[in-house]
Amino acid sequence: MSETVLQVRNLAKRYGPVVALRSVDLDIKRGEIHALLGANGAGKSTLVKILSGVAQADAGSIMLTGRSVRFRNPSQARAAGLATVFQEPALIGELTVRENLSLTHSDPYQVREALASFGVSDLQFDELVRDLPLFLLRLIDLAKQLVLSPRVLLLDELTAALPSDITERVFSVLREAVRAGQSILFISHRLAEVMELCDRCTVLRDGCNVETFEPRDGGEGRMVAAMLGTPPEQLTARESRVIHHTQEQVPLLDVKHLTVGPLRDVSFSVHKGEVVGLIALEGQGQDVLFAALAGEYRPSSGQIVVCGKPLSARGPADAIRQGLVLVPADRATALLPKRPIRENLTLPLYARFRSWGAIRWKAEKRRIEDVVRRLAIDARAGAAGRLSGGNQQKLTIGRWLASGFQVLLLFDPTRGIDIGTKRQLYVLIRDLAAAGAGILMFTSELREISLVADRVLVLYNGQIIEELPPDTDEETLLSACHGLEVAR
Amino acid sequence: MTTAPPRPALVPKPTSRWARLRRRHGWLIVTAGFLLVLFFWRFSQLPKFGGFELRTITAGAMVVAFLGMGQAIVIISGGIDLALGAAMVFANCLSALWMKGQHTGMCFLLAIAVIAIGAAIGTIVGTTIVLSRVPDIVVTLAYLFVLSGAALLILNQPGGGTAQGFRSAVAGGLSQPLPSILWTVGVLSVLWMPLKRSTLGVKLYAIGGNRAAAYLAGVDVSRVRVVAYTLGGMFAGMAGVINTAYTGSGDPRSSIGLAATLSSIAAAVLGGVALTGGVGGLVGPVLAAVVLGLIPAIMLGEGVDPNLAQVVQGCVIIVVVMIGTWLAVKRRAT
Repeated sequence: MSETVLQVRNLAKRYGPVVALRSVDLDIKRGEIHALLGANGAGKSTLVKILSGVAQADAGSIMLTGRSVRFRNPSQARAAGLATVFQEPALIGELTVRENLSLTHSDPYQVREALASFGVSDLQFDELVRDLPLFLLRLIDLAKQLVLSPRVLLLDELTAALPSDITERVFSVLREAVRAGQSILFISHRLAEVMELCDRCTVLRDGCNVETFEPRDGGEGRMVAAMLGTPPEQLTARESRVIHHTQEQVPLLDVKHLTVGPLRDVSFSVHKGEVVGLIALEGQGQDVLFAALAGEYRPSSGQIVVCGKPLSARGPADAIRQGLVLVPADRATALLPKRPIRENLTLPLYARFRSWGAIRWKAEKRRIEDVVRRLAIDARAGAAGRLSGGNQQKLTIGRWLASGFQVLLLFDPTRGIDIGTKRQLYVLIRDLAAAGAGILMFTSELREISLVADRVLVLYNGQIIEELPPDTDEETLLSACHGLEVAR
Repeated sequence: MTTAPPRPALVPKPTSRWARLRRRHGWLIVTAGFLLVLFFWRFSQLPKFGGFELRTITAGAMVVAFLGMGQAIVIISGGIDLALGAAMVFANCLSALWMKGQHTGMCFLLAIAVIAIGAAIGTIVGTTIVLSRVPDIVVTLAYLFVLSGAALLILNQPGGGTAQGFRSAVAGGLSQPLPSILWTVGVLSVLWMPLKRSTLGVKLYAIGGNRAAAYLAGVDVSRVRVVAYTLGGMFAGMAGVINTAYTGSGDPRSSIGLAATLSSIAAAVLGGVALTGGVGGLVGPVLAAVVLGLIPAIMLGEGVDPNLAQVVQGCVIIVVVMIGTWLAVKRRAT
């Protein structure tokens, strides 16, 4: 009978008004590999932060081998026997491997042995970390933690950057460690790996743990269903719109074989009057895609064509000039929080070099009022930063209304917004499309995509792997996001 | 499953010895070369070049060299200390006040005390930054005023003094370049070289290079930051004591402190310490301090208006740092 080595009870954490963890219970037995699953925003990363010592819980308890613990920083967690391999390698780029090891007092010989067990045997420790590829850094990080022989090893999306043959070797090393009595908490989106490697899995949803079961008892289907839960209140479905466009019509946005960062050979198009939805799990390349479209990154190969003209942008200003505008996910970066609403709304107009003269507010007043009314922005708060999240989001979209655009790129526009404002935003987006714009929208709200999109593209591992109709059920959408085969 | 034989194609080809040397010490080599060029230029200007001329160069650059070393440590750790020059002025005035009328042995003891006080000031500055979470520029700016005022309080006009033996021992007699060279090299070898290789040294570079990763790796970031400012303060104390030995008195005027701070940053940056942190060493700033000191002397020798000296110094800094940064970025892009 194996005893419980890590016991978490009623763990809660909130960041201001946002509840990241409501009440989480977790039990990890000695000698088991335990998976932690959950959709974006379910609370996985917050739980990892608390267990690894980066953040502190507001309430609840953590018991490690029967002792109650509270970690104030990562070294305390490690000292207590809970070692974490973070998604971002905890290594300093400007230092050599050897120097990085000396930071944590890791024994170079043991680390070298551990690396050899993964199949990496000729690494020069005098190399600068920033010259090494990402997967090697993760292996070094993993080796560093394994050498500590921790009671519990926390692996956060370890396999995301590893080639598949290395992954196999890493798995056999992990299995050996577990046979020797260690436990592993394995966080991953790759359900196939969870099936292969893990003894039990716990699913988080909306900040609570909802199910704990053995993977073979229900398989990937059960995992996906648990991540989704029961459907929420149904939002009224929109009337189906028929998009009139022929094949010959020039698309507003045509992405051809785009390769940049993690994206490989991405091709799709957005036509006039169309809302194309993009769904993906965290970190599949969607932020790089939007940044490249907005003109922030230059693609390594491929082309972005806007209204028939290829995009040659040295920065977002050029992209905006060609008609591609971005509403980013982070409202804080999109707005000028300390400036009043009207300045935020008219900023794109004055962004051009020529306009250095006095701002004719009276002339702009009508345009501003028009936008404010159309978006139903609650303008009582003076500065933009004081608006509610929903109103801020309306503002970030609204300012492009004042200056005009061809293609609107929306990155997760409804994240963290109340249901009423969400409805208004969806109506606005559909109106914009009806007025002739082309819209590409990345969203993490799978259940609402049917309200707003005409087609749904699935991004996985840097590639568009599926195109699905918008009325596809949520479970199929989520399965597609995980890279699983779906029936249309 | 048996472990398969390793795949050599996984690990990238290791950088050659030569490339690694060039990367680690490239800036230093260029600065040393530049210094050599200027040195010979100066050499060619003077009718005779003996101990007196050499001592003028080395002892004159000593204060900026030591301040540059202190600033370099703080910048490498990811911070900046605008109060360093004022700390030097404070140490200068305090030591001049105490050392007046004392014999050489006592002066040395007092020097150690003042250096320790400098370190303590650094600790206070660093602790304030860490506890208050106010950006380092703001905190050190505030302490700049505090320390400038404190210097005026203890010595309200230029004065004080020190033993002649102390002056010769530290700054050398008028024709003795050796003491200034030996002290500088000595501090570099005894203090910096061991520190650079120690765990503390790696931690200083780590928190300057990537503070978040260092935190995740388990480094006590707050404590190491305080240590960095303490060391900076210690070097400021040394610079102040050296100034007392060089000038034979204390000068509390705040303009000196401000100029000294800017010179320390200039020396650090010219010496290869990146303002972003995590890069550089202490030898570079020392060489850069001598370079910066040579420029006005050379201009005087050429008959150029020495008031242009500062303009030329500024241009040199911009050009050198621009080229250096451009080369570093080019290397990273490939």
